[in-house]
Amino acid sequence: MTREKMTVERVLELIEAFGAEPGGWPEAERDAASARIAAEPDTFAEALSEARALDQALLNEALPEPSQDLAASILVSAPIAASKRKSVFSTLSSVLFPRGVRWPAGAALASLVMGLVGGYAYASTGVGYDQADAVYYAAFGVDSDATWLSLE
Amino acid sequence: MSGLSELDQITRAAGGDRAAQAALVNRNMPIVFRVAYRMLQDRAEAEDVTQETFLRAWKALPDWQPKAKFSTWACTVALNLCRDRLRKKKPVLMDELPERVDTALRPEEYLSSQQTLKGIEANIAALPERQREALSLCALEGMTNIEAAAAMDVSVRALESLLARARRALKARMSDAQAGERP
Repeated sequence: MTREKMTVERVLELIEAFGAEPGGWPEAERDAASARIAAEPDTFAEALSEARALDQALLNEALPEPSQDLAASILVSAPIAASKRKSVFSTLSSVLFPRGVRWPAGAALASLVMGLVGGYAYASTGVGYDQADAVYYAAFGVDSDATWLSLE
Repeated sequence: MSGLSELDQITRAAGGDRAAQAALVNRNMPIVFRVAYRMLQDRAEAEDVTQETFLRAWKALPDWQPKAKFSTWACTVALNLCRDRLRKKKPVLMDELPERVDTALRPEEYLSSQQTLKGIEANIAALPERQREALSLCALEGMTNIEAAAAMDVSVRALESLLARARRALKARMSDAQAGERP
């Protein structure tokens, strides 16, 4: 808005609504209103003085502070970075493999352990052998080389 | 972190960047709390509203559109939450304060009274809801008329009217308080 178009009434409206500080006035009208006041200071002196008093009173508003842990509790609910999101599996694997899971080596190690444990259990108890014999007798009733050969 | 634009900060915060999230909270939490407190006049409730506002912000950040400043958006959410609470707990809405003709008191006389200064919070609290919102955002939190109007979802002209009425009411109340102290 130009200085010519800025009326006395409009300047008074701005002061009444936004206070005495031009920084608080609408940006589009600020310069024109300031220029109008500078040109006719007496016209606006009283309105400005009253508005300034209220502005000052508003500055003295005393409000309580939020509790200190409010910011912390807000941040607790903030989104977590995708790389930091841990599933049950990743939590478990980090416990079992603190230096990270290496699949080929891990799989080979697991196979070796399973083979050793299984083999030891089978050999030490002999249960597997007895079960195989029992199955054979139940099926053929004999245990001779001829039978074996005929089966082959 | 202060060198980042708000959009950068929001993008980082949405991606889980703790520093960006903390910066966003530190910068905007106080204004949200103050706006909520002025509306509700209760610290615990204002804190609840502040927390709920940020909870909604965390959900909104991944799809953030930079149409408004974060503080404007946050104040809009906070005001809506406050209105909901006020609606639930206040069966009778306060009438508009009567607008009075300005008295002959000089501005210096307002300031001379410590009692008047102490009572400014009570006078703001006694304003009708919409006037209080307008005054809180514009005069007390320094939002521009456009930002405040957007936060309140009213026209710029309506905001200006609410502000003028709020300031007239405050001046009248301060004058009354001043007159009451005189022998």
